[in-house]
Amino acid sequence: MAALGTARCLFRTYSRVKNVQKSKQILVRCSVRTLCSGTQDNALLDKTIPQFTDPAVQDILTRITGLDLQKVFRPIKQELKPPTYKLMTDEQLAQAVEKPINDVLSEDKILDGMDTAKYVFTDITYNIPHRERFIVVREPNGTLRKAKWEERDRLIQVYFPKDGRKLSAPLIFKEENLKMVFSQDRHEDVLDLCLVQFEPDSSDYIRVHAATYEDLDKHDKYELLRSTRHFGGMAWYLLSARRVDGLIVDMLKKELFHDAVSLVSLFHMVHPHSDSAQEAASQQATGADLLKIYAQKESQRAGYIELALQAYQQMAKSSAA
Amino acid sequence: MTPEFRLKRRRHKILLYFVQHPQDNPANIMVHLSSLLLKKYHGGYVVIRLALAGHKQANRPFYRIVAAYNKRARDGKYIEQLGSYDPLPNIYNEKLVSFNFDRIKYWIGCGAHPTKPVAKLLGLAGFFPLHPMMITEAERRRAQTELTATGAEDGLQEGQNVA
Repeated sequence: MAALGTARCLFRTYSRVKNVQKSKQILVRCSVRTLCSGTQDNALLDKTIPQFTDPAVQDILTRITGLDLQKVFRPIKQELKPPTYKLMTDEQLAQAVEKPINDVLSEDKILDGMDTAKYVFTDITYNIPHRERFIVVREPNGTLRKAKWEERDRLIQVYFPKDGRKLSAPLIFKEENLKMVFSQDRHEDVLDLCLVQFEPDSSDYIRVHAATYEDLDKHDKYELLRSTRHFGGMAWYLLSARRVDGLIVDMLKKELFHDAVSLVSLFHMVHPHSDSAQEAASQQATGADLLKIYAQKESQRAGYIELALQAYQQMAKSSAA
Repeated sequence: MTPEFRLKRRRHKILLYFVQHPQDNPANIMVHLSSLLLKKYHGGYVVIRLALAGHKQANRPFYRIVAAYNKRARDGKYIEQLGSYDPLPNIYNEKLVSFNFDRIKYWIGCGAHPTKPVAKLLGLAGFFPLHPMMITEAERRRAQTELTATGAEDGLQEGQNVA
């Protein structure tokens, strides 16, 4: 029995590692959304910009996530059960930007005052994807409108319950509670809960993920996410926001030289019009030169990066010699 | 009546089913056992109606929208469940109704009659046109609220006059 339990735990952790790929594809949608919601609309129209799901990007991100076997195969805490999160269907995230639903189907003033409560009608036909389900609300004043995103999520959970999801969001996702959880260094648990609870393109999901990544960036706690499925998402978020300095510094401190180089090359892929990217392209730089160029052109902590780079090169020479 | 005689009668009825109801097996000779198990009512038809569920709890109604034979008990055996209706509003002040529109279309195509409350709900949902009784009820309620409003105002004024 014990062997079975440990085997199950191992399997779950292994599937977590396997699902690194899949979870990145989920997280891609929210990063696509952050791209859109910023002032980079022309960047989205430009098809050559690499997306989160591109194999090259995925490759780099998996490499820099690292595989710390100790962390991956540690015993799982039983109270938070991160599910083997299967990739959501693509059509669920077909829309690039999530517009709030304000569709009114009919206004029947004759029905005004028919009841004190709203009537919410859900279509429970089994074979339609949840995105295309009809969920309409008849207000007491007679208007028939489509349900908003939050109502939709709630009702789909009522009629088609999913494991681990609660009907109303757990209180941990409130701002004050998030701060407390971050102070306890439990970012990974929050992100796991968030994955289970929210749809990837809901505003709550984006908000929680953004808050977590910001907090990690502020306190330089990248190590917490290093070997987990969330690292790629964090890296992508910071790349899109152009704030990878902290991450690069952290990598150089931990002497993960190749990771830093791949991160910078990813940065150049994502932002091909930035100064450092053009410089690198013109010089065809690789390895340490890439880092130097990036340090000079883009980063705010240029001094630190160059120092760290020198230290690393000295160490490399001394170890080689 | 001896048991053998009863058995013979039942077999006779089953044979009758085979003979009299080709619409159960339109194109194939395969026997659909469910049609044998379903009781056939003389002059009965299928309705879509609300059936009360959860009868073990008092004062907490919950209805299932159900396709059943007309003659069956309200809460008895139904053919298929097509949805649910919760008449008590939840914390968000919503009354949750669910419809399996695909199957409702099928049963209406088979000639099922919806009852008045189901027709009202479907009208509210926008699937059917609005039921005239809904409109009448809404008007009556509006008149009622106006009456109570003016009644309250009059009462207030009288109270002020007296005091």
